[in-house]
Amino acid sequence: MGALRLPCLTSIVSVSSARSSLFPRGRSSHLLNVRKLSSTAKVEVAPAVQEQGITPRSQDFNAWYLDVISMAELADYGPVRGTMVIRPYGYAIWEAIQDYLNIKFKESGHSNMYFPQFIPYSFIEKEASHVEGFSPELALVTVGGGKELEEKLVVRPTSETIVNHMFTQWIHSYRDLPLMINQWVNVTRWEMRTKPFIRTLEFLWQEGHTAHATPEEAEREAMQMIDVYTKFAYEQAAIPVIPGRKSRVETFAGADRTYTIEAMMGDRKALQAGTSHNLGQNFSRAFGTQFADENGQRQHVWQTSWAISTRFVGGIIMTHGDDAGLMLPPRLASIQVVIVPIWKKANEKDEVLDDALSVKDVLHSAGIKVKLDDSDQRTPGWKFNFWEMKGVPLRIEIGPRDVSSKSVVISRRDIPGKPGKVFGISMESSVLVPYVKEKLDEIQSSLLDKAIAFRDSNIVDVSSYDELKEAISQGKWARGPWVGSDEDELKVKEETGATIRCFPFDQPQGPKTCLMTGSPAEEVAIFAKSY
Amino acid sequence: MAGAKGDKPAKADKAAKVAAAVAKSSKGRKKETGLGLTNTKDGNFGEWYSEVVTNGEMIEYYEISGCYILRPWTMAIWDVMQNFFDPEIKKMNIKTCYFPLFVSNNVLQKEKDHIEGFAPEVAWVTRSGDSDLEVPIAIRPTSETVMYPYYSKWIRGHRDLPLKLNQWCNVVRWEFSNPTPFIRSREFLWQEGHTAFATKEEADTEVLQILELYRRLYEEYLAVPVVKGQKSELEKFAGGLYTTSVEAFIPNTGRGVQGATSHCLGQNFAKMFEINFEDEKGEKAMVWQNSWAYSTRTIGVMVMVHGDDKGLVLPPKVSSVQVIVVHVPYKDADVKEIINACSETVKTLCDAGIRAEADLRENYSPGWKYSHWEMKGVPLRIEIGPKDLASNQVRAVRRDKGTKVDIPMAGLVDSVNGMLDDIQKNMFEVAKQKRDACIQVTKTWDEFVEALGQKKLILAPWCNEEEVEKEVKAKTKGEIGAAKTLCSPFEQPELPEGTLCFASGKPAKKWTYWGRSY
Repeated sequence: MGALRLPCLTSIVSVSSARSSLFPRGRSSHLLNVRKLSSTAKVEVAPAVQEQGITPRSQDFNAWYLDVISMAELADYGPVRGTMVIRPYGYAIWEAIQDYLNIKFKESGHSNMYFPQFIPYSFIEKEASHVEGFSPELALVTVGGGKELEEKLVVRPTSETIVNHMFTQWIHSYRDLPLMINQWVNVTRWEMRTKPFIRTLEFLWQEGHTAHATPEEAEREAMQMIDVYTKFAYEQAAIPVIPGRKSRVETFAGADRTYTIEAMMGDRKALQAGTSHNLGQNFSRAFGTQFADENGQRQHVWQTSWAISTRFVGGIIMTHGDDAGLMLPPRLASIQVVIVPIWKKANEKDEVLDDALSVKDVLHSAGIKVKLDDSDQRTPGWKFNFWEMKGVPLRIEIGPRDVSSKSVVISRRDIPGKPGKVFGISMESSVLVPYVKEKLDEIQSSLLDKAIAFRDSNIVDVSSYDELKEAISQGKWARGPWVGSDEDELKVKEETGATIRCFPFDQPQGPKTCLMTGSPAEEVAIFAKSY
Repeated sequence: MAGAKGDKPAKADKAAKVAAAVAKSSKGRKKETGLGLTNTKDGNFGEWYSEVVTNGEMIEYYEISGCYILRPWTMAIWDVMQNFFDPEIKKMNIKTCYFPLFVSNNVLQKEKDHIEGFAPEVAWVTRSGDSDLEVPIAIRPTSETVMYPYYSKWIRGHRDLPLKLNQWCNVVRWEFSNPTPFIRSREFLWQEGHTAFATKEEADTEVLQILELYRRLYEEYLAVPVVKGQKSELEKFAGGLYTTSVEAFIPNTGRGVQGATSHCLGQNFAKMFEINFEDEKGEKAMVWQNSWAYSTRTIGVMVMVHGDDKGLVLPPKVSSVQVIVVHVPYKDADVKEIINACSETVKTLCDAGIRAEADLRENYSPGWKYSHWEMKGVPLRIEIGPKDLASNQVRAVRRDKGTKVDIPMAGLVDSVNGMLDDIQKNMFEVAKQKRDACIQVTKTWDEFVEALGQKKLILAPWCNEEEVEKEVKAKTKGEIGAAKTLCSPFEQPELPEGTLCFASGKPAKKWTYWGRSY
């Protein structure tokens, strides 16, 4: 499968100049030509058009990523630098993430609520390391309703402080514990280097906050939530993340321990895709969040917080996408099957469309997310490319011959060309529905398998700093024993650009020697360059 | 649910000690428990309202005036409404999206009338970290100006139309007048729909389709009767062509509440933001636009309409807990068996899709629990004691009427479903009767002034002139706010030829609702 044969937008670098660039509008003349050329699924496209396709992934990963986001209509640049408009096709992925996680959170006893977006600056200052970590990125509101505000307000970068302010008022005795809440909100961090989905000034996330009577319970909760995230990543997003613990340097500002899931993107850079923090008593001490235990003793609560954001959408794009564009795991795809009807003569159109419609109804009533692309503005070939680029897992073609044989042609997005194409699948519901469901499942697991193979072939076990440098310079992840100091870690970062992504939960057995210091080491760490 | 466990009222522990004694005198205020309200709905409505929303654990006040914390009890209602509305608009092929919170000043200023309406309420980000921003950035008060530059970019030909988007988000309006939880807050949650069409007819049709969904939200879910109608020129959305709304009424204060609005924006924004398309003949045309929204205000209206002196009264359809099961242990009774029966009952109800929970806490008396769950407005309480157990029945107590009935365990699900349906229906009927009793038809200025003094929802023939509405506003401006038009109802009573406007004496053009409003 070559480069996407579609007219393209200008690569979206700034929105100001983008007025003229929207795909696929204003290109009708090209498309008419295409249509005349193509009477079958095979489309030859004028070179002029081809030149503007998606940048091949292998050629320039970053340009490819931006092209996919723009052409698949996932997002657009926002009006303020570093912000992003999430378009319906991109938002649908976020909705699928929400639908899954919201149920998991509620099942595990968390309630949704909503805290105000504005936080008095004095709250943020209460936890020393927290304010230190966040202050450079805070957006401050100082004027409201035409007046200077008495106290400057922070646009929430995260809600630990306001949550603790309220927990202090709500928690009195051990009977009030555990207190477990979650909210789905926007947060703001005034970042300098931004990238759609991955790092934006404003992003959407869920943030869970819990308070417990004992450190053991808090630890269990923090681990439980990173486990929820891990399962989600594997089973829904087909992303084989590596769960583990962050190093001291990378631990959340104000946490005792941070757990993370680290994903390998298609360019082999690491993406921190979700975190769960054991906050210990840091915030409860700063805010005086106490409870009377069963013996009537006042104690500070033990807390956690955990979050997954729209960054995860970027992770899905960068894990599965290929030169042809986006590739969505079936369980998160808002369109799982696209039906493309094919006709040449006018008299064929009606019967083809009739059958396409009834196939659509059959799949729809079986709970499959299906779209029929029956527009007559585009050729079938154009549609094939378009929906491939949009990452729809399965395509069903129905032409006049299929109508007479009452069968359809089914193509897999994840297997390009003929090998992924099967002819003669009966339109009969009892045959078609199980077949489609089975294929969707196969795609889901094959995406995961592929990602696992890719991940594993790009992690190198290292036992010395030289080996680590070598692995990193090859763009790989390095895994090796580590008891180095914070300074050692920073040195690695300066010299190689790699950071400790995590100490994976899954640890090799046997004695270890720190790759940097030569001292006996308890565990291995994973080093990689990251987003 | 562990989450709910943490939500006990602050004074819970103290309250538990005295609860038993107080529970016996089930009438009157239970100040001793810390559960009762110190204000009555008729006595001091404003204080009553803030007590209800806080004691009912819907809202927590916060350090920043006009910003409130929405607790799980509130968010569950918000979620139910969203679970109705979102699929409905998706059926209309309206897609969900998300536009940024931040608006640059030059975009915000683009539509003149529009910004005049909103500018005084905008909150500005002026600093990031330690440095001042070169240009302050606004926080969206609404998203027309954020979204429409993209509509201009995305819409090229008639095939790109209609473009129909909706987003669920927070907005900020830095108002200074009387912040009230849900009703008027500086930050609130809402959905805002923004659509663009090739023709005015399509836009007109959608305005009414959405308005009907808003009516259903209020009447079928929140059990609050509303009037559908059109806003006056003075009250319409700044920059729009016309505004339709559903209007609710709070009998206790005699104030109307704009429940939700569905605007036809005409082509005004299209002109400002250059949202053009090539029509089927290849000619350049401007789109027709709508925008429409409902917010967390809906929840405030529901609380105001249904709440009573015992606290919240929640319609079953939106209440996160529809049935609360309380065990009533007597001395010498087999507590374990009663508790088992309670758990069984909850399981039976939950399996049937009813949102039921048991309150089996042993550090609170049944009386305390009754008050607690009444305060939270749970529609139906089921009590199970030894006698009930013996006769294989439960006692059910309705929150709306306070009536008690014994229902046999056999057929429990049907009985409970029937009662919940009836509560939902009854709450709407009662609210409608109260609202209707407040409607006063006035044909002269004197009648109008008298009715306004009696906190009526006034229906009056009007000449539909902006100047006249301004005069009425000026003349009725008192301490508690001027009267204005609420809406001209779509269902117009007959207007006999020669009927004169109550205010100007000119020929009347339509019947219009007037009153003070939130």
